[in-house]
Amino acid sequence: MEVFVTFLLNLIYISATLALIALGLAMVFGLLGVMNMAHGEFVMLGAYSVYVVQLAGQHFLWAIPVAIVICVMVGWLMEWLVVRHLYSRPFDTLLATWGVAILIRKGVEVIFTRDYKSVNQVMPGTIDLLGVSYPAYRLLLVALIIVLFVALFTWYQKSKAGLKIRAMVQGPELAAAVGIDTARLSRLTFIIGVSTAGLAGVLLAPLVRVEPYIGLDYLMSSFFILIVGGLGTLEGLLIGSTVIGGTDAIVSTVFDKTAGYMSVLLISILFLWLRPDGIFYRR
Amino acid sequence: MDRTILEVQNLSGGYGDLIIVRNISLSVYNGNTVSITGRNGVGKTTLMRLISGSLPLTSGKVNFLGNSIAEVPEHKRFNLGMSYAPQERIVFDNLSVKDNLTLHYLETDLDRYSNLFENFPRLRERLGQRAGTLSGGEKKLLSFTRAIAEPSNLVLLDEPTEGVQSDNIELMAQVICSQKSQGRGFLVVDQNLTFLESITDTIHLLDHGEQVYKTDNKRFRGEIETRISI
Amino acid sequence: MVSSIGVKALLLAALVAVPFITSSYTAYQLGLYILFGIVGQGIVLCWGKGGFLPMGQALFFGIGAYISGTVLKSDPSWGVVLLAVLLSVLVPGMIAGIIGVLVFGRKIGSGLYFSLITLALSLLGYQLANSQVWLTGGFNGMTGIKGLPGIDSFGSLYFFIIGALVFSTCFLAYLIRTPFGQNLEAVRENEERLQFLGVNTSRIKAAAFAISGGVAGLAGAFFAPHQGIVTPQVVGFILSAELVIWTGVGGRFGLAGPVIGAVLIGFLASGLRDYFSFWEVVVALVFVIIVLRLPGGIAGLAAAYAKKIGMSLDTFRSSPRDEQILSSPTNSQPRLEFKNVSLQIGPVVILDDLSFEIVDRGIHCLIGPNGAGKTSALNVLTGKLAHNSGKITWCGQPLEGMQPFRMSGLGIGRKLQVPSIFPELTIRQNIDIALWVNRLKFGNVLSMRPYRWHKALKDRLERAFPFLIDAEVLAGKLSVGQRQMLDFSMTVLAAPDLILLDEPCAGLSKAETETMISAIADLAKSSKATFIIVEHDMQVVELLSDHVLVMHQGRLLAQGSLEQIRANPEVRRVYAGGSK
Repeated sequence: MEVFVTFLLNLIYISATLALIALGLAMVFGLLGVMNMAHGEFVMLGAYSVYVVQLAGQHFLWAIPVAIVICVMVGWLMEWLVVRHLYSRPFDTLLATWGVAILIRKGVEVIFTRDYKSVNQVMPGTIDLLGVSYPAYRLLLVALIIVLFVALFTWYQKSKAGLKIRAMVQGPELAAAVGIDTARLSRLTFIIGVSTAGLAGVLLAPLVRVEPYIGLDYLMSSFFILIVGGLGTLEGLLIGSTVIGGTDAIVSTVFDKTAGYMSVLLISILFLWLRPDGIFYRR
Repeated sequence: MDRTILEVQNLSGGYGDLIIVRNISLSVYNGNTVSITGRNGVGKTTLMRLISGSLPLTSGKVNFLGNSIAEVPEHKRFNLGMSYAPQERIVFDNLSVKDNLTLHYLETDLDRYSNLFENFPRLRERLGQRAGTLSGGEKKLLSFTRAIAEPSNLVLLDEPTEGVQSDNIELMAQVICSQKSQGRGFLVVDQNLTFLESITDTIHLLDHGEQVYKTDNKRFRGEIETRISI
Repeated sequence: MVSSIGVKALLLAALVAVPFITSSYTAYQLGLYILFGIVGQGIVLCWGKGGFLPMGQALFFGIGAYISGTVLKSDPSWGVVLLAVLLSVLVPGMIAGIIGVLVFGRKIGSGLYFSLITLALSLLGYQLANSQVWLTGGFNGMTGIKGLPGIDSFGSLYFFIIGALVFSTCFLAYLIRTPFGQNLEAVRENEERLQFLGVNTSRIKAAAFAISGGVAGLAGAFFAPHQGIVTPQVVGFILSAELVIWTGVGGRFGLAGPVIGAVLIGFLASGLRDYFSFWEVVVALVFVIIVLRLPGGIAGLAAAYAKKIGMSLDTFRSSPRDEQILSSPTNSQPRLEFKNVSLQIGPVVILDDLSFEIVDRGIHCLIGPNGAGKTSALNVLTGKLAHNSGKITWCGQPLEGMQPFRMSGLGIGRKLQVPSIFPELTIRQNIDIALWVNRLKFGNVLSMRPYRWHKALKDRLERAFPFLIDAEVLAGKLSVGQRQMLDFSMTVLAAPDLILLDEPCAGLSKAETETMISAIADLAKSSKATFIIVEHDMQVVELLSDHVLVMHQGRLLAQGSLEQIRANPEVRRVYAGGSK
């Protein structure tokens, strides 16, 4: 029983964090058609924000505004200088954002070196839940992610900006005809997407190693989630996260980390082969 | 004297280097309706998209209220006072009828539509429904209503009557005529000559992307019919 | 004017002279960069020629290196070494081929996914190389690799590397010139069009990827004796990324580009890395700029400069002399049947229980108002859209779920509405691809024979469209009208029994329309093919049609001769608009 509850909690924790990481890529790829290869680098920037804030002797929570400011700035520059010229050219977008990814990665490497940075634990200790004691920060994280998803989803469904984004995605021409500045709205969407990645980086920093190359893993897992879950639906994102996270966790436990990664990759290739549009697909 | 709202001079354009319409000139004055008709595939919709800004011009001039708008992006033309109801993809299918009517305004109330709802009560009944579930004719009404209620000087309507029931077509014509009397200009593409006769001041006939006939005579039906019969 | 062969011989001589002119250490470094350049040449085949980018190419390089390293640890004989080199090529090549088949097999335009999957594979390779210590030596690498028997790794091995470079350059250059290579470039230009010309494009892409994997493995085979150690970094994503950067910066469109890129950036890096910490940031920045502004890279700039000073680096394919006339098969009696075909996308009904039959040769015009479903009818016929219910058969053969490239095997050819050609290929190359339809086999796709093929129909087309004679003009430089005519020529040269033309006169001027109409009429008379033409322009219908089908709201409204159609009150009502 305890083993089962622990496993279940782990699964929830892994799926939730993965969903948070993939959210930004799902937004940017699903809504704008941009495969942002620098997605993981924004997670990395978020994680480094925590390191910098703690280095300055400030409270962990300060990292959230710091990360958002950095991601908004970098994202804005990136959209303005690179991405906006390439919206209808997915392949060039992939190349250019990938160049930007290397740029950010190398830039961080020059400033902070390649060494792992340790980030202080936030909320150490455990909480008793259903008969098992589980790390408190992880539970808090899951709760925060749920809140964030609900908030973002509500914003997307109810707010004027969300309404306009949905209108733009569905009919860019009609949207322009009713006076919606689609270029600006695309930029906003891009910036929000990369900012959620930065936020994910902040929240995960206390749990993972922080070094310049972590972004790539996050990009890959986000990508796998999108392949499995398909584009355009929240259900797809959550199911994709659970499938990818769950497979990785189970196989890694039974065999080793490499086997876990291999199984995830295999599942993704199988999905490309059998269900190229993912589990949930909406035209 | 009449004020010129829209002036199009020697306009040509199409998709990339595929030129569809050539050398079109027309003017819309306030309180007037200019109509464009012709067979399918002669470039009527392309012309509307060039004027609305969804396609870039290859050559020619488009002046709106005295200023050239050739370089003005589509969404800014809306702010200048140009409304556009396109021929295809006319509503946001995934949004509710109400959202379709309000998304481009700050306020979410439907006051500006109260008069139009008197004419088209079906729309009010369906406010909460997804626009994608409407029939083709109802979508056209929704698109028409949206464009008419906008505070604009010029309304571009591309095939507004396609699939619409005949009594509603008559109501559309009445709405257009009452709007004309308040000084608005209309540029209408349609193939329903009965509808066009009830609203038009000047009609242009297009063939192969070129103007082949133009008249200010309000009884143009016979002439046009002989010209477009197959 | 400097000849192209001369330039190449000079370059080769310079490369051979390097160890004698400079230090042997410089030659040693250069050897390494050239190996990377060879891997880049494989990337050129995929990226520059085929239009899809492998982002994990170090994986195949590393596999080659590990295989050759494993063998060389045991002081083998030359025979075993050769076998090892062969394995270093074949194993990565096969792995790449299988991945290519899996990823490309299902969906057109899966380019983004392909790139990311290859990147993921490189990450996986890195983990495996680290964890499978028994095989690879793990994190510390595979050590104790000896040089090739009797060859000094710091000395004469360099010449073997030059040999590998010459081999890979010649092999890939040949490959690019074969029909295979030309079709590969056509994939990049317009994959959908190539499919309608009967080419299984996913197989071509997979084959190109397999070859690029083999080339990378070849370079890897020399890497092991050159370095004496193989570490997991050699299969990893960082090297993979650098390989793409070197190729992109050097130039992705030619075989010289990646070598230039790898050597230039390699030497600059070894000189600057230690003093200038932002070096790699600068390289990444240059890469982004090249993607945005300068797709040809350094080689592209150099070629433009060479052209300016009157040097020709491109060798034009000489025109083949003895032509081999292809016979046209006799067309069978047409029998096309649409039976209760319905198509619905979302809530919109596009085809509504559409039924008709075409059993006569000649020109059948499909007309109807906008949104009547004419183009959609062709789309379900050629498998571009999947219909919800009903049956479509051609000569008794059901066409459901058939991939577009199989259509041409059944004798169905299609011209899309917008002119759809291969813009970066010449007129001759465009025409060649059409001549090859259904005739390229494993036995001739890698030979030059297909370039000699000829059809009498081609002469007829050249008389109708004289611009076709100027065969070395790039198709992308043609006017819209000429592109329509080229597209039409390609469609009919493929010699289908059933030719589907979607508005062949769209965007044509009056004079061009006349040229086109007389060409179609001429062909319809001389060939036994059946035409279905979707047309708006009644003048075209008047001049061409033997039989007219009228569609309205997804259904067949009427059919018959043009006079019958004109007399039909329902058709008149639909066409005159809603004049109630």
